Amino acid sequence: MSVSPGILFSGFWIIENPEGALYNIRNELSDLPLQTAPGGIKGYGVESDLMNRYWIRRVLSALLVLFLILVLNFLLFRMMPGDPVSSIIDPDFSPEAKAQLRQLYGLDLPLSGQFMVYVKQMLTFNFGISFLTQRPVWEELSSRIPNTVVLLGSVLILSSIIGTLLGIKAALKRGTWIEKIVLWAGAISFSFPSFFVQLLLLFFLGYLFPLFPLRGTVSIPPPAGGIASLADYLWHMFLPVSSLVVLGFGGWALYVRNLMVKEMGEDHILLARAKGLPGRKIIWGHAFRTILPPIITIFLLALPGIVSGAVITETVFSLHGVGRFLLESVTGHDYPAASAAFYLLALLTILSNLLADLAYGLVDPRVRFEKKGRR
Amino acid sequence: MRWTRSWIRTFALILLILPVTTFPAQSSDFSAENIRGPHIEDLYMVIIRDPDAQVLALEKGDIDVLGDITRPVDVERLSRNKDIDLSLAQGFHGFFLGFNLRKAPWDRQELRQGAWQSIPREQVVRDLFQGYAAPLSSFLPPASPYYEEGIRKYPFDLSLARKRLSDNGWTWDEDNVLIPPGADTSLEEMELLSPTAQVAPTTAELSSRIASSLRALGIPIEVEPMDFATMLSKIDERDFDTYVLAWSMTRDPDSLYAFYHSSMDIKGGYNLPGIHDEELDVILEELRWSPDEASARKAAQRSQIMLSEKVPVVPVYSRYSIGGISRKWKGVIKSDVTTVDNIWTLLNIRTSEGQEKDLYWCLADEPRSLNPFGTSSAYDWQVLGMIYDALIAIDPYTLEDIPWLATSWKVETLSAGQGDREETLLTFRLRDDVFWQDGEPLTAADVKSSIDFLKDQGVPRYYDNVSDVLEVRILGDHEVQVRLDKASYWYLHNIGGLPVFPEHIVRDVQDWRNWQPGKMAHPFREGLTRLIGTGPFIFREYRPGEFVRFSRNPLFWLLDN
Repeated sequence: MSVSPGILFSGFWIIENPEGALYNIRNELSDLPLQTAPGGIKGYGVESDLMNRYWIRRVLSALLVLFLILVLNFLLFRMMPGDPVSSIIDPDFSPEAKAQLRQLYGLDLPLSGQFMVYVKQMLTFNFGISFLTQRPVWEELSSRIPNTVVLLGSVLILSSIIGTLLGIKAALKRGTWIEKIVLWAGAISFSFPSFFVQLLLLFFLGYLFPLFPLRGTVSIPPPAGGIASLADYLWHMFLPVSSLVVLGFGGWALYVRNLMVKEMGEDHILLARAKGLPGRKIIWGHAFRTILPPIITIFLLALPGIVSGAVITETVFSLHGVGRFLLESVTGHDYPAASAAFYLLALLTILSNLLADLAYGLVDPRVRFEKKGRR
Repeated sequence: MRWTRSWIRTFALILLILPVTTFPAQSSDFSAENIRGPHIEDLYMVIIRDPDAQVLALEKGDIDVLGDITRPVDVERLSRNKDIDLSLAQGFHGFFLGFNLRKAPWDRQELRQGAWQSIPREQVVRDLFQGYAAPLSSFLPPASPYYEEGIRKYPFDLSLARKRLSDNGWTWDEDNVLIPPGADTSLEEMELLSPTAQVAPTTAELSSRIASSLRALGIPIEVEPMDFATMLSKIDERDFDTYVLAWSMTRDPDSLYAFYHSSMDIKGGYNLPGIHDEELDVILEELRWSPDEASARKAAQRSQIMLSEKVPVVPVYSRYSIGGISRKWKGVIKSDVTTVDNIWTLLNIRTSEGQEKDLYWCLADEPRSLNPFGTSSAYDWQVLGMIYDALIAIDPYTLEDIPWLATSWKVETLSAGQGDREETLLTFRLRDDVFWQDGEPLTAADVKSSIDFLKDQGVPRYYDNVSDVLEVRILGDHEVQVRLDKASYWYLHNIGGLPVFPEHIVRDVQDWRNWQPGKMAHPFREGLTRLIGTGPFIFREYRPGEFVRFSRNPLFWLLDN
């Protein structure tokens, strides 16, 4: 199975052509088992040999992708014009001093030598020292990841839940004002620039009616005690999280609404209705269950995004996160930091992709049916 | 527009004040000795990146001091706030239009002069900066004590610019495009390198207006917006026609050598326009190697006059420095040459009730490493400047050298035996009442070990400061002598402006590149880290993304005990 590349919106990955891509996923999985298995048995693919081969192929292709990313990660940064030293423009920093710095960074080594150092660093997870901060890259990332994961993790969970519920509601209330509101709210939420919404929130709720702090994740001076610190942290995270939820739920709502509208017109839903099943059972037991796999897939594919950071949000609310660090690493030619960050992101993306495959298998009713059939 | 500052620039910015004036030297009775402070309990440097959030935080009272306010809209807003004391001073910033003199048509002096005359700088600055910047007509910032008023200027006059070209044999084709003297064809399309509007909107707009002015003169030029790193790389490769670039300069004029001497037209060098002029080289060498202040001043004057004839770049504007402080603090030191956000203010202020309270100072970005050897980030040096001191400071009113860790100094030029080779001998007499924050006394050994360490380790940030040092000698507990190759008046600032590190801490540094003194416990003083100096504040805590906390140094030599 492969998932087609997506577009990024509000920090989440969404499949570019949802329906087409999802059908591809479904067809690909459906096709696999229906082929004749080594034992001569036809059926949905839970034949162990076939499945093993499938997973081996998936893991091997993941490793190949990882290798390609490793190479590209090295080459792309070095193909960018200039290097970390060439961006220093300071008359008090002579060409001789720049040469010293190049030597210090190992930039005087031939490209092959630099590549060997780089591969060793990536494979051993010892990412070296950041050119910009002079601190170990791992230390830099690990100090930023908690804030970013809390921010974007909670945003992902909240906006997916809110968006999904609203999307379902809108699909069930077609033609009513509820659907119109959801569609409008979804479109507005989806299209508003984040900095605009965040600055408005900051002005009204941080300054004019100072209910929330203007910056950071901790009061100054910091409160004493664990509970007080936790409350303080949550208080500080309220505006950044809520602003991104406001901006992020719309995409989910529109997407889920479209899926649900289509699903509610399917034959099996008509059959369920004809059988006189209660509405709740039809919605949650049949329709939602059917659209759950693509939602889970998208949710899992959005997971890597929660460590990639949100540059604008981090800037507006002065959060110590990964996004800004990543941006500065790229623009400042900080090869060790940028390479490490993208390498970790690639690893996480590949892992999420594998997880999405696994989760799809777990929630797809046909696969479960086949499992039961085997017992 | 982004520019990188070396440690000395940023150190000067914080430790030695960011001053500025249209004209040098205002008389003042300022004396560091008259200050008795600080009267602040704890100092918090609060990290706030977004400019809107910074302004809101100052108005709300979350922070007390905010520096480097650049947006006119913020200045207007804060100036209406009665609780904020806003100060404006002309800065060391300079924005220039540069040409590639290595190739036609910019190798023609009259064309460069015409380009200067065709740009309506006053109007552009008024439109874009609403009065919070000044048109620039010099190669040094007007605040510099070496600024020369009597240089040749080219006020905006398009018809005079055209006449200048016409007098030199230039003609125009039917599309108003210039035809060089003796040539049959008009000028070809050229590019003006500029950062993108997303990164630097004002600069992008300014570039567009400059290109428009040049086109009016007959120069076919279009703005080429690009990523800033890419732009710098193209300039470094000398692959350009024209560019715009801003610089943050210092009070000393020897940067003119780095900018315009022919030997600096190498990869990594700053003679970006590629001017090669023997006459100019001679004067710039005199400036760079002036043995004393008088000859330095004379060479600086001649250099500027000659540059205004040669026009390797066109000065466009200089941005003012603007800072604000809450009026609840009294004793703020500011003037037309100094904004409020300076170390003298920190040493002198107290609350209006006379109580000692915590002070909150805005840090506009994250400190990068807090490694005084490795970092040149301005934000790092805002922090480190509270901890480390230098031998000499700069008078906030006159920009002259004033005693700091050194009570006096002597600059001598010696003949070095063979030929006309000369050496410089700097002798510093140190204060005898200064202690490191761990209680150890400051001695000449600390100064010697600091210079020796930077020289022996080849620390790039300090390379140019100490590369000519031949020897450092201790003449007594509080007297030290530095011998340098060649004669140069600027050595005094190169050495006198260096931060001084404690010998008993630096001797244990294994690898300066990975040294993180703020995270290392002090070897014998509980509660301290190895990030200690002689400065007014003791480093206590750094929470990434949040704040840096200092406490007052009870051993600080200016403290009223």
